[in-house]
Amino acid sequence: MQTLQKLGRMPIGLTVPALTILLVVFGLPIVLLFLTSVNAPALSLSNYQAFLRQPANVRVLFQTIQVSVVATAICLIIGYPMAYLITAASKRVRMVLLVLVIIPYLTSLLVRTYAWIVILGDSGLINNLLLSTGLISSPLSLIYSRMAVYIGMVHIMLPVMILPLVSVMMGIDKSLVAAARSMGAPPFAAFWRVFLPLSLPGLRSGLLLVFVFCLGFYITPAALGGLRDAMLSTLIAAQVASSFNMAQTAASAFILLGIAAVMLSVLGLDLADTKTHGTRLARKSWRSGLPSFRALTRDLNELASPYRAKRWTAKLYQAGGSSGLWTTLGTLFVLLVMLYLLFPSVVVIIMSFSGGEFLEFPPSTLSLKWYSSFFGDPSWTGAAWMSIQIGVAVAVLSTIVGTLAAYGLNRTFPRLRSFLTLIILAPITFPSIVVGIAAYFGLLNLGLIGTKTGIILTHSIGAIAYVVVIVSATLANFDRRLEQAAKSMRAGPLQTFRRVTLPLIRPGVMGGALFAFIHSFDEVVKTSLVSGFSVRTLPLKMWENIRNQIDPTIAAVASLLILLPLLWLLVLYVTGWRPRPRAQNVLPDAVS
Amino acid sequence: MMSSSINRRRLVQASSSVLMLGTLNSITGRSWAASNELRVSVGGGEWGKANIEAYVKPFQAETGIKVNPITDDSTIAQLELMVTTKNVTLDVINLGAPSVAIAGPRGQLEQIDYSIYKKDELDGILDFAKEPFAVGSLMYANVMVYNTEKFPAGKPRPTTWAEFWDVKRFPGVRVLPTGQRGVEGPWEEALMADGVPLNAVYPMDIDRIFKSLDKIKPHTRKWWGVGSEIQQIMHDKTADLVNAFDGRASQLINQGAPLEINRNQAKLRWDYWAIPKGSPNAANAQKFIEFATRADRQAVFAQLMNYGPTNRNAFKLIPEKVARKLASHPDYMAISLPWNAKWYSEIGAGGLTNGEQLRQRWNEWVLL
Repeated sequence: MQTLQKLGRMPIGLTVPALTILLVVFGLPIVLLFLTSVNAPALSLSNYQAFLRQPANVRVLFQTIQVSVVATAICLIIGYPMAYLITAASKRVRMVLLVLVIIPYLTSLLVRTYAWIVILGDSGLINNLLLSTGLISSPLSLIYSRMAVYIGMVHIMLPVMILPLVSVMMGIDKSLVAAARSMGAPPFAAFWRVFLPLSLPGLRSGLLLVFVFCLGFYITPAALGGLRDAMLSTLIAAQVASSFNMAQTAASAFILLGIAAVMLSVLGLDLADTKTHGTRLARKSWRSGLPSFRALTRDLNELASPYRAKRWTAKLYQAGGSSGLWTTLGTLFVLLVMLYLLFPSVVVIIMSFSGGEFLEFPPSTLSLKWYSSFFGDPSWTGAAWMSIQIGVAVAVLSTIVGTLAAYGLNRTFPRLRSFLTLIILAPITFPSIVVGIAAYFGLLNLGLIGTKTGIILTHSIGAIAYVVVIVSATLANFDRRLEQAAKSMRAGPLQTFRRVTLPLIRPGVMGGALFAFIHSFDEVVKTSLVSGFSVRTLPLKMWENIRNQIDPTIAAVASLLILLPLLWLLVLYVTGWRPRPRAQNVLPDAVS
Repeated sequence: MMSSSINRRRLVQASSSVLMLGTLNSITGRSWAASNELRVSVGGGEWGKANIEAYVKPFQAETGIKVNPITDDSTIAQLELMVTTKNVTLDVINLGAPSVAIAGPRGQLEQIDYSIYKKDELDGILDFAKEPFAVGSLMYANVMVYNTEKFPAGKPRPTTWAEFWDVKRFPGVRVLPTGQRGVEGPWEEALMADGVPLNAVYPMDIDRIFKSLDKIKPHTRKWWGVGSEIQQIMHDKTADLVNAFDGRASQLINQGAPLEINRNQAKLRWDYWAIPKGSPNAANAQKFIEFATRADRQAVFAQLMNYGPTNRNAFKLIPEKVARKLASHPDYMAISLPWNAKWYSEIGAGGLTNGEQLRQRWNEWVLL
């Protein structure tokens, strides 16, 4: 307890638990891998040169960056308004929308990819619909194209964009926007100059997570893409599968990390430093463009502002709604995005009731046999229980450690913060196969290969990164004077954290915990390496199954997973969402 | 979601601290190291089940040696990690021929003890399935499969790779396997399409391969990577003519799909049983592999799962109807081309193996 208090006084110390886990499980082996990639002790760049000398590698590298940038941009364009509308909705609607956004994320990546094949295929749902209505005479080539890659990738990444945005937007004081409006700012200006800058931390977290993840994609582009749609991770995985040359694999992985580092520095590594960066960005973009036109509109704006201010006061006391058109458009947008997000899950659920031996849509016969094949087979239920145990442990461990680290990073000086952030993000930047190899060596030293603890630690290094990014975004908008006020009232650092800071950053912490759980629940590549053929998780079991045959049991499993958040929603509904008296000693319990 | 978080959080914490304690115990729970049960990787799904029925259960009954069938995939990366770190957690591993060609020379596999095999069994096993470090477990093939709605029985059908390449005579969408792993790809087919006779394919002319592939590329819809993918493509009728695994096509045909297999100029491939170097139960692992390559055992396996035996004597015990579905049927063997591991691992120009050269060349070519 005392050491903890001491740590509390020295903020950077809070990052120690996170960095210790990282260092032991992942850090030391990755340093060794780096040394291997430069042929230590001879020290040469031959592996890097060999990589760059192949024109194909360079071209795939650019293609990887291009695909990732476009996918990230689409996520931004859809995700930002979506997050805004979710935040603006009433509490109950918001709750439902958030759960619905998360549902597709719980459907295993593999199953979702199959759902897209069923939807976009030549004899898939969309083509069948268009053919039967006579709009087209021969099937459109929807699948096996770059467009299909984007559809699949954005579908997977959209929740990762939306959740950090929502967690930050919920912390924005809406009266600030109202104040701007009352001073005569038109709605767009109030958004652009007040709301947007305040939401930037969430935006940056979202962009960062999405981009970094897109860099490492390989299952989706390989399954949905056309003849040319190779990603660097596909190349690396193929290399590992065919020849497994450690030095070359490590070199390509470090090149990928390099790109992520460049991207981080462009976006601003400082996830916590918002105020200065945000306004700077907003002002810069304000100034760019056509200066004379801008000046003119600004002058016109200034002229009209007293009138608008007057109208605002009038409007403020009007009962009910603003313009109905915007509400309708907003609702329509939300519905469309939800259709996109949930349709594959619906397809999966329907396919799970198929009586045939294959995944097919629509099913020719209906039956529950794939559900009984799941529940009747202890290897399935055992694997599911194992995954739940591991997922919960990972969520708890990484949420605690990650929140502490984010808090510590937030309080330290910028340069150190940037450096530590890059280190913490490394496990989600590297291709899974490389992280898995590194973790294998790390766990070997601890004698943890083939144990649950080993798998929990392996999953946690990635999950911590999620938590840090999301919690940092929430902390960025956090008014530190509230803590000072608490301290001035003689609250200790721990008490301040528990009673003031934690309740305020709760949305971020919860979002982080959720991602940590899902990250663990869907992980297959690293797990297969460190499981030592002894621990079987649900994704491993599904993967084993899907490689050998596509039997609808996996659709049944996926449907059951979709049921989980719905049940949670139901439980919350039944318990009435009443805020209960806050439990004492939440944090100390968890840490000790 | 956020409002009730504290309650939930506390609940999660309380329940998970119990879980965390539970996991600490599992550190000491590494049972395989102590016991002498045999850990055999058998693969997943129907394949794993067939392996257990045909080999694992009867082996336990005959020898009394306890076998733990592991249904996870086993890869060359896992083998390398296990062996180089001396933490071998499998006694018998299932590997594709390309992996054995790499792992054997690297010293990651135990030498097979052929002295424990009966003479007639040993004579029955095909020559290329008797490697110093591995014994063939099953055979399959890359075959031409066409859609019978597009190519009905009365009309001309493509029967050679040259005809598969002939898009004027046989118009339609093609799908071929990817070459991104180098050691597997549509290489042999490309050469046969270009007029190289079956027995002169090896050593392969890499330039000629890609010249031939240039011609088929504009008519190809997708390069497939794993078996379940090509199965889905055939199921969805995305293509009219494909190069697929025979087992995947058979499965669909058994279900009534409008497909037919052409076995002429098929490329024969096979998997191996092998023992990772340093296996704690190597002696029993040798016994298991000897048991699993006997003719009577392979005959049982072939009837559970339509993969061909590597032991020719098994065909004496397999009904003709089933035998006709197997890639290693003597009639098909005569018109098929066995994959040549030796050529792929030979060092060619630039100090790279032929397989590695193909991989790099493919990665470049596929983006053009």
